Amino acid sequence: MTNHDIHHPAARLEAVRNTLLAEFTHMPADEFMRRHSRLFDAYFRQCCDEDRVRAVLDIHRNPYAVAALGGYGRREQNVHSDVDVLLLFDAAVPRRAETLVQEIIYPLWDIGIDVGHATRSLTQCLTMAWQRMDLVIPLLDARFVSGDPALFSRLMEIFHKRLLGERRREILAWLAETNARRHLRFGDSSYRLEPNLKEGLGGLRDYHTMLWIGKIKLGLQQARDFEYAGHLSHDEYRLFRRALVFIWDVRNRLHRRCGRKCDQLYFQSQINVARSMDFRPLGGRKPVERFLAHLHAQMDFIKQQHFMFLQQYDPRGKKTARRARRTRFDEIVVAADALRFDVAESIMKHPALLMHIFGESARLKIPLHPEAKRIIREFGHLMKTPLIADPAVVKAFEAVLKEPAPTFNVLREMLNTGFLQRLVPEFREIVHRIQYNAYHIYPVDKHVLRTVQTLKKLGTAISPVSCPLANGLWKNLKQRRQLLWAALLHDIGKGFPSASHAATGADITRTVLKRFHYPEKDIDLIAFLVRNHLMLIKTATRRDIHEEETAIHCARRIKNRQRLNMLYLLTIADSLSTGPKAWNEWTAALLRDLFLKVANIMQHGELVSHRAVRHTENKKKAVLNAAATAAEKKRVGAILPLLSPRYLISTDAPDITTDIDLYHQLGTGSFVWKITRDTATGTRTVKICARDQPGLFAKIAGTFTLNHLNILSAQIFTWRNNIALDIFDVHPPPDVIFEKEKWETARRHLAAALDGALDLGAALRNKMPSPARIKPIASKNPHRIVVDNHSSSFFSIVEVFTYDFPGVLFSITSALFEAGLDIWVAKISTRIDQVVDVFYVRDFDGQKMDDEKSAAALQAAILARLPDIE
Amino acid sequence: MKFQTRRMYMKKIEAIIKPFKLDDVKEALTDIGIQGMTVSEVKGYGRQKGHKEIYRGAEYVVDFIPKIKIEIVVDTSRVEEVAAKICEAANTGKIGDGKIFVLSVDQAIRVRTGETGSDAI
Repeated sequence: MTNHDIHHPAARLEAVRNTLLAEFTHMPADEFMRRHSRLFDAYFRQCCDEDRVRAVLDIHRNPYAVAALGGYGRREQNVHSDVDVLLLFDAAVPRRAETLVQEIIYPLWDIGIDVGHATRSLTQCLTMAWQRMDLVIPLLDARFVSGDPALFSRLMEIFHKRLLGERRREILAWLAETNARRHLRFGDSSYRLEPNLKEGLGGLRDYHTMLWIGKIKLGLQQARDFEYAGHLSHDEYRLFRRALVFIWDVRNRLHRRCGRKCDQLYFQSQINVARSMDFRPLGGRKPVERFLAHLHAQMDFIKQQHFMFLQQYDPRGKKTARRARRTRFDEIVVAADALRFDVAESIMKHPALLMHIFGESARLKIPLHPEAKRIIREFGHLMKTPLIADPAVVKAFEAVLKEPAPTFNVLREMLNTGFLQRLVPEFREIVHRIQYNAYHIYPVDKHVLRTVQTLKKLGTAISPVSCPLANGLWKNLKQRRQLLWAALLHDIGKGFPSASHAATGADITRTVLKRFHYPEKDIDLIAFLVRNHLMLIKTATRRDIHEEETAIHCARRIKNRQRLNMLYLLTIADSLSTGPKAWNEWTAALLRDLFLKVANIMQHGELVSHRAVRHTENKKKAVLNAAATAAEKKRVGAILPLLSPRYLISTDAPDITTDIDLYHQLGTGSFVWKITRDTATGTRTVKICARDQPGLFAKIAGTFTLNHLNILSAQIFTWRNNIALDIFDVHPPPDVIFEKEKWETARRHLAAALDGALDLGAALRNKMPSPARIKPIASKNPHRIVVDNHSSSFFSIVEVFTYDFPGVLFSITSALFEAGLDIWVAKISTRIDQVVDVFYVRDFDGQKMDDEKSAAALQAAILARLPDIE
Repeated sequence: MKFQTRRMYMKKIEAIIKPFKLDDVKEALTDIGIQGMTVSEVKGYGRQKGHKEIYRGAEYVVDFIPKIKIEIVVDTSRVEEVAAKICEAANTGKIGDGKIFVLSVDQAIRVRTGETGSDAI
């Protein structure tokens, strides 16, 4: 045909087809596909009737038939799917057949239709199908279109008798294997964000496979026979058909939009397809999210029917006769390797059996028979309060929840049969709920089930994480049941629009567990885990985890090690089950680092104990209340968050107030101090507020020694605004008459030392040389210097045990300074002549002194500054 | 497509920053009209060394510290402004705040349109 041959049937086909395509969205998809197929039928008939074809090939001398195959054969011709035809000849393909192809097929190509055609003789057809299984399947859907009907009938007769009759088992085995391979390759479309409408699990091919098996094994003629022959109930077939029509509709619109054959529903098409199908926003959900949820639900239904059908009519037809096993319930029996109800009526009397069959399935590792699933689906409504709180039911459910992975996912069966939703009605709101972004690749219901499954894989040979830490924590966890509940419910809040799904989820968790009469203590724990399931991952990625406050903050909210362990495991399982963008080595490293730091803070509990937290909060309030005016309150309020946890714990509220005052006096100066007299002991307390600088502590200690002010004890804190607050208890100057003047001299010395004008080391060497030997009063233990790098994630802790001598503190702190260490926290105490000094240090870059060499060098340097013991 | 050696008028800015500073930096750059950047999750160490944590007697070594790398190509005239913005936004005053590298870029081509040079960035 040439382009201007307007009388060729192809021209007519093109015109009517365009009219049909223009209005296909106004009719049900199956109606459209039937009409679409009919157009091609008409075309092939016209071609055969046309004089020109008859002139080329006389049907009486060379009998031939045109048969429709594949989707076209089933009258399911989608917009741009291939049109598969067989040009069948009787004895041999005549040479002139080529001309026939030119007359019938080429014109279709010219109008842009993809035609797949085969030209074969009857014998060729059968011999080739005998040799190649993949050529058998198209013949299953073959339908006579035009030409010699007797010829086509003969083909079908021999095909059924010889091929299907004699090679049935082989064909079925090949079909089963191809089916399994396809699922593996294309994955599960019932929750993919970009599902494959045809090849994926839950796609159209699942339906085709059912139909083929039905045709081969059960003698079905068409899809309708599923119901007529009793393989699907009336309701099931209705829903099955509805699901197919929806998927076909999506596929047609996708083809139309892409202008070509395309079965993968890519992101860029989804919004348009959703809009064209009239999905509208509802309850905070976007049209595309509702569209995908609906599509997933349909594909999920196809998938389940597919598996139930396979299970019932295993194409390989094998029946491994396992020894019949008894169950714990008379009404539940094992038959043909599947669990079923003995008599369905027993359910009416004992609806708890609906739960028990799942419990038995988990215990015995035997799947449910399709008939049992059908019964559960239809009688699930019997499961309601108070039955769901029946201890036996709850226990059976927990057995399912705890059943080890991965062999068998009974929880998924519970979801698929709608039974989980009966037990926890709130679950309904998250079934097929989509979050339309590239981060969450599973619908919420699938995601939470995956999270449960991921947890259970930890510590086993198929653990998804290689880090021994997480695997070990799970293995040693005593409260697995509670954690699994939290995993199951952690995203339940996503079904209920609110500002925080975690907080909403925690409230719902309480309602759900109360319904099950759970102990209050467990409810608190599980609700806590649900409420805070994002805390660790958010903190790890959005806060400075190298800051001690971050770890302290987490530790205080989590409160104890058990809860921390559980939260960490939940975070890992949750992230792993979200999608590849939510979990990788990078995130894992950040999260683990945070976990270890928080665990460490908890282990050395003084900062996080319940009492410490309560005291700190009370003190903050008291300090704020002590402020007289509103302006004063504002000034104090601005400083409070900058105070370090250690400072807040060890300082009384009135002292905090005076310290803040002192800080305000500092202004732009380098330091201020305040001296008070302790009336009971006669000692002086010197509070120094200074801008932190390396060596500050040594300079203060040196100044005091230079002025013969003997240091009894000292504490230093560093606030978060780089202000150091140092508190010294000292003996008053020997000559109390001129005390004021003495202090003034000391103040001048310190000012000079801080701005570098005074070299304290030199001054002290000249004025008061350190003793070369000392004589301890009581014990004679040697000096001891301990460098502890384990107790804190943020500081190296240096402990010095020695004996008092003039300038002892200056000697030690100078050694620390010269080793390049900054003192962040210090506690100095002297008891008679024994000195115990504890320093929390970091190097000038803010890092711990982790390596053993530097630690040993520091010990040696401090020791060198201490006098020999006599 | 012709590749010509021209006067270098584009620079690539590579910044390594702390992970939790990404949002701040992105916001700061958006404020001054930077429209695109490439972000990657990287690991490494510099003056901020790795460290180890002890948990129940077991030692966990963090030898490469997780960081974020941002890459932006800008007109040479904007380099200082952009680098300053990143510095300001990523600064915590502590070790490990990161580094900024500025590299010369010979050419940029927008794949869709074939536009080159400044038009393509």
